[in-house]
Amino acid sequence: MSDGPAEPSTVPPADAAPHGPVRPADMAPHGPVPSAEPAAWPAPPGEGEPRQRLHPLSPLLHGAKSLAVVIAGLSWSTLSRVGFGWFAAMVAVLALGATVLSVISWYNTGYHVVGRELRVYEGLLWRRTRAIPLERLQAVEVVRPLLAQLSGLAELRLEVVGGGKTEAPLAYLGVADAARLRERLLALAGRVTQPTGPGHATPAVVPGAAASPVTAAPGRPLHAVRNQNLLVSQLLTPQAFLLPFGVAFVVVQFVTAGSWSFVAVASTLTAMAGVLLQPVRRVLDDWNFRLARDGGTLRVHNGLLETRAQAVPLARVQTVRATWPLLWRVNGWLRLRLEVAGYSLADADDRNRPDRLLPVGDLPTATMIVAEVLPGVRLDTLVLTPPPTRTRWLHPLGRRAFGAGLFEGVFATRSGRLTRQLVILPYARIQSVRVVQGPVQRRLGLASVHADTAGGSGATAQDRDLAEAWAMAAELNARAHRAQHPAPLPPDDQDVVARSPGPEGR
Amino acid sequence: MSTPGAPPPPGSEASTATPVGRGPLEPWPDTVHWQPISTDLIWVELIRLAVVVAIGLAGTGVGWALSGHWSFGLAVAVVLVLGGWRAVAIVRAVRAWGYAERDSDLLVRHGLLVRRLSIVPYSRMQFVDVSAGPLERAFDLATVQLHTAAAASDARVPGLRPAEASRLRDRLTALGEDRAEGL
Repeated sequence: MSDGPAEPSTVPPADAAPHGPVRPADMAPHGPVPSAEPAAWPAPPGEGEPRQRLHPLSPLLHGAKSLAVVIAGLSWSTLSRVGFGWFAAMVAVLALGATVLSVISWYNTGYHVVGRELRVYEGLLWRRTRAIPLERLQAVEVVRPLLAQLSGLAELRLEVVGGGKTEAPLAYLGVADAARLRERLLALAGRVTQPTGPGHATPAVVPGAAASPVTAAPGRPLHAVRNQNLLVSQLLTPQAFLLPFGVAFVVVQFVTAGSWSFVAVASTLTAMAGVLLQPVRRVLDDWNFRLARDGGTLRVHNGLLETRAQAVPLARVQTVRATWPLLWRVNGWLRLRLEVAGYSLADADDRNRPDRLLPVGDLPTATMIVAEVLPGVRLDTLVLTPPPTRTRWLHPLGRRAFGAGLFEGVFATRSGRLTRQLVILPYARIQSVRVVQGPVQRRLGLASVHADTAGGSGATAQDRDLAEAWAMAAELNARAHRAQHPAPLPPDDQDVVARSPGPEGR
Repeated sequence: MSTPGAPPPPGSEASTATPVGRGPLEPWPDTVHWQPISTDLIWVELIRLAVVVAIGLAGTGVGWALSGHWSFGLAVAVVLVLGGWRAVAIVRAVRAWGYAERDSDLLVRHGLLVRRLSIVPYSRMQFVDVSAGPLERAFDLATVQLHTAAAASDARVPGLRPAEASRLRDRLTALGEDRAEGL
């Protein structure tokens, strides 16, 4: 329905739907299908690839998804006020309306790959065409929510540098189509990065890829997290610990008050579910967690109700973060996360970020994974120097918890007394270096060194001795520079120095 | 104090171009030549402060005149004291602001209470902003801001002469193109 450039016959939209279920959405030749709206689907000049629609079942899924939103929006109090019959009727009408809107939106949505771009077209009244340059592709993931799993569909999410939110979620495609499209996009993105990549930056990554000769196409499995460990780890969280107290409080409340109104019970249960949401969601999200490596790409597969398969190019990893929550130290467990450029910090919902590297695991496992992600870095042998003794005035208890160190290829900092956190940041990813000195720090002759990255919060060496802080900043800057420019400086630097106003400029 | 002085003579920039030192803890004194920013920024900031103080004084003064309660008198005094303290801070803060162009990075330092030094390699530059508000334009000033892909990067140089601002902008973009790395 896209590549019929001169199809004058206008067919009513209802005609398009019967074609849908017959073929998977991604199947290539559907030229003979008459175009319903020739003006809306102009065949792009010079490209053979036809525009493709999403899977025809997707409006139904969107409608079902909106059902939950509708129920939540109407809330318990409405239910008790209007009675069940009216409530059901309201829900049905609203959900039906949402489904109709989804059908319209599905009908007007299309995508195709043009050269090195993925183009996504959408909107009926406000037409929107997005061209996503595959050079800037950070990660592709295939997400399968529960409903999509039941209907054999999947959602494809693309993460792009500089996008505040996930760009262009293609919801929904057939599973095979989604996987195929992902492979294709990644192949296109990877092919582009290899030759045109800035020449200097690639060597930092290539050694790692070369060190691990991967021949099998689906990737070499690195690690699989035992579900039992995952369950135990999420029971070892403050929320799970505090739950009995919450239940007891509620029960006592009801027994003493003697009132068991439906609204009160339902609201309390909802609130409790809200508290427990995070650990439960972590269990559901990280169930069956499997990590594999495929050349320069890290493949993450996880999820119980909603399975997702993420592919993160290793070259795009900005930082690796190891966290030791207080209660996990009994088992010596830690969590590994990574940060990729292109995700907004403000996004509180961290489900959509491809940041999981290891939901729970012990030190040897984490060491192995870190060595895969950042070649040459051994997590268990990183020895960080603590800040000077006089910082005990600032951190009477947690002074030893802080630390920083410059290593071969990476900058590492540690912080946090109760929840220990270690941030590992490759020099090549440093965007800028800052030295900040507050009034108290000035009195004590201290300063903090920040190394900023494109995604996430970067690394901070808290409260170093001032002279050491300057030296560290200079060294970080120099190493970041060397990591980006392994070759000697280009000859035009002479010119730059000559033009520089500072006579003492190097 | 809040009345804008006459535009300074053209040579005044040269007289203020001496490096603003920070004592023995100045980092890398041999390789870094700090450029001060124009002291006209003091006037811009003082006018902004004067507007805020005037609004505060008007509010509290009207309240005092209408109610006659002593607490409004105290509020007037507090506004005046804060305004005076801030005025002193502005003068010192503008003098403390400095930037330095090295062959591969831009250094910006500012702040009195919390002192900050940013080192931004040219190669990491995403884009450069040159902006000038009405008040800044009245004093013939402009602000240059260097943006990297990191939101935390903090490389803003206010109080530049337009010629210097565009020179800096052109130089930054030229160097950024030479060494573009992006991410």
